[in-house]
Amino acid sequence: MQTYSTTEIVDAIVIGTGAGGAPLLARLARAGLKVVALEAGKHWNPITDFATDEKEQEKLFWTDERLSAGNDPLPFGSNNSGTGVGGSTLHYTAYTPRAQPDDFQLRTDFGVGEDWPLGFDQIEPYYNEIEQFLGISGPSPYPWGPARKQKYALGPLPVNGAGQLMERGCKELGIKTSPAANAALSAGYYQEGVGHRPACANRGFCQAGCNIGAKASMDVTYIPLAVHFGAEIRSESFVTQLIKDSSGKISEVVYIQNGEEKRQRCRYVFLCAGTVETARLLLLNGLGNSSGQVGRNVMAHPGLQIWGEFDEDVRPYKGIPGAIISEDTHRPANADFAGGYLLQSIGVMPLTYMTQMARGRGLWGEELKQAARAYNHVAGINILGDCLPYAHNYLELSDEKDIRGLPKPRIYFTNGENEKRMTAHANKIMRDIWAAAGAKNVWAFPRNAHVIGTCRMGVNPDTAVVNPDGQSFDIPNLYISDNSTFPSALSVNPALTIMALALRTADRFLEQHK
Amino acid sequence: MNYHYPAGTVRALLETDQVTKPTRQALTERLKASSDQPVFFSTEEFSLLQAVCDRLIPQNNQSERIDITGGIDKRLTENKSDGWRYDVMPADGDAYKLGLKGIDESAQLLFQQPFQNISAEQQDFILKAVQTRQAPGDTWQELAADRFFEELLAEAVSTYYSHPLAQEDIGYVGMADVPTWQRIGLNQLEDREPKSIGQGE
Ligand SMILES: Cc1cc2nc3c(=O)[nH]c(=O)nc-3n(C[C@H](O)[C@H](O)[C@H](O)COP(=O)(O)OP(=O)(O)OC[C@H]3O[C@@H](n4cnc5c(N)ncnc54)[C@H](O)[C@@H]3O)c2cc1C
Ligand code: SF4
Repeated sequence: MQTYSTTEIVDAIVIGTGAGGAPLLARLARAGLKVVALEAGKHWNPITDFATDEKEQEKLFWTDERLSAGNDPLPFGSNNSGTGVGGSTLHYTAYTPRAQPDDFQLRTDFGVGEDWPLGFDQIEPYYNEIEQFLGISGPSPYPWGPARKQKYALGPLPVNGAGQLMERGCKELGIKTSPAANAALSAGYYQEGVGHRPACANRGFCQAGCNIGAKASMDVTYIPLAVHFGAEIRSESFVTQLIKDSSGKISEVVYIQNGEEKRQRCRYVFLCAGTVETARLLLLNGLGNSSGQVGRNVMAHPGLQIWGEFDEDVRPYKGIPGAIISEDTHRPANADFAGGYLLQSIGVMPLTYMTQMARGRGLWGEELKQAARAYNHVAGINILGDCLPYAHNYLELSDEKDIRGLPKPRIYFTNGENEKRMTAHANKIMRDIWAAAGAKNVWAFPRNAHVIGTCRMGVNPDTAVVNPDGQSFDIPNLYISDNSTFPSALSVNPALTIMALALRTADRFLEQHK
Repeated sequence: MNYHYPAGTVRALLETDQVTKPTRQALTERLKASSDQPVFFSTEEFSLLQAVCDRLIPQNNQSERIDITGGIDKRLTENKSDGWRYDVMPADGDAYKLGLKGIDESAQLLFQQPFQNISAEQQDFILKAVQTRQAPGDTWQELAADRFFEELLAEAVSTYYSHPLAQEDIGYVGMADVPTWQRIGLNQLEDREPKSIGQGE
């Protein structure tokens, strides 16, 4: 790997190597820029470091404590925050549906939420490119959204028990289903600059890290590509300060590595630390916030799960967890809410299921142990729906210090009327599907997934933190590329769109700095 | 439906090459871990916590007990977090100490005895009252009883079911993934996946 000295002025520093950082890093490196990525987490070797064990894999989660406030406090850690070279993609489930064109114009269509300052047409070419590069497995044609210009790189992954049950229930109710698009390989795959990756072993462990590189986390895709093109990855480097020079530009980034404070000089900074940490860094440093919008508009997808027990052996630890999808509820007829949601079948690892059962059903004693013994017979469905931005949902710095001595972030989250109505709608449909599929002991686990917002993009510097290219309105050499810039939540899982925006931001930057 | 799985499955698989090295290492360590004296909790708090956990997750097989409380003590000693906490709750360690105090206080108020001296039924009555925010005592004015109970239960459950013996109990063998899983549809089992043996207790 190419390395740079801290005294050298590198072209760009990329802070964070998740879905927003890694693709951009590779793009800038390919253009010949001297780029250094500063990543707080470790650089793992999945084969030797990853166990097929949830407890051991807790090391992939961001565990600096955050304070969850509001009526629907968001769980962090295992629920939505990763760390390590690859960021949260180390433990994402690998669902990679595309957003649909109308997702980008909620306000136009419903009079609530926000329109994006750019449309589907600007994102679509990147969807195509990323799906091919990552080797996304999915059906062609795909039944929903505009006709695809290109087939998915690989055919769909095999369907597990939960997926079969969802197909069965939906068929009964006349709901269309399809194998889902997943960022895991249904066959071995080779990409220049990355090398060969093997097919998925159906071990259902995506949320605790893939030990064979079948899942397209960033550490086995865009990171090796970035290194191939000359980027340096500096792991275990926790950024604390961005230093401005007299011209108002950021000239230096301060970080802690092995307990030692270091500085790297640079021309441009790309902040890709994720929704919570990006906003926290800006607030800590008092940067980029002339709009007063940093930390505002926190969103989290309604993600209600419905679980049931079936007579059949399901063994929910096998197969890609999200095998089957339906987007029939993307814009449900006669809905009493704005936007919509998608339905996904879910497999589940044992600890995740047991702790959810403890929290969601409150079971204990012999009752708990008996319900736990039904684990091999459980299957779930969940939704992933749009969430509106609200003034009452935001992030602030608290007075409490974390283990690094920095103020803990406090995140307020309360579902609004729209999310509640959507969830009620979905609760009914999913219970109907599970009843039709033959489920017993059905129970609901209410949740919100994916933290989005805090540094919204827009065209107006008074109401947005960055422009549509991801560039700060206040500091011209600062860009943001991660889940924080989404003006609205979209009704699909975010990672594919974060990557698409990242490549777009990189391309726009490169065009303007030829 | 009551399912019941044979003992020994995970332990047998750990001896084979169907488990990766890092997986074997993590699970074997857990299997062999010995119970230590508490560091974070006082001896009294620790034995109260044990009594509470015994009701939350009863363990009938005394020779093969899974050490839940030792795991909690270790985490709090190392000041580790799971990445978040309810804003209404004090720091994890303080919440535990306060909650344990509250449980004893409720037992005194309702049964005039400490929690560990009352019957199992009475203990369950207290715990149910804590879970549903109906337990008496000043402590629960300071601490959200339902949240405390939820957090305690979630940690106890996650510690317990991460243990190979508990995984045998639920018939889980997902750690044996080296040969890959090919039979993944409904009612399709690989040879290494145990079947439920009858209806159990
Ligand atoms: C269990 C789980 C399942 C998920 N499943 C899916 C799914 O199926 N499909 C989907 O689309 N999305 C899924 N997601 C969400 C998806 O992973 C995230 O939306 C996405 O990775 C966010 O990208 P990001 O670039 O914003 O942040 P991240 O990917 O979180 O990357 C941020 C990186 O920045 C680093 N960092 C933070 N602060 C600093 C600092 N001060 N200094 C240096 N580095 C720092 C972090 O360590 C981290 O590596 C899932 C998430 C979780 C937790
Ligand atoms: S299911 Fe496939 S992609 Fe997911 S972790 Fe297992 S092998 Fe990797």
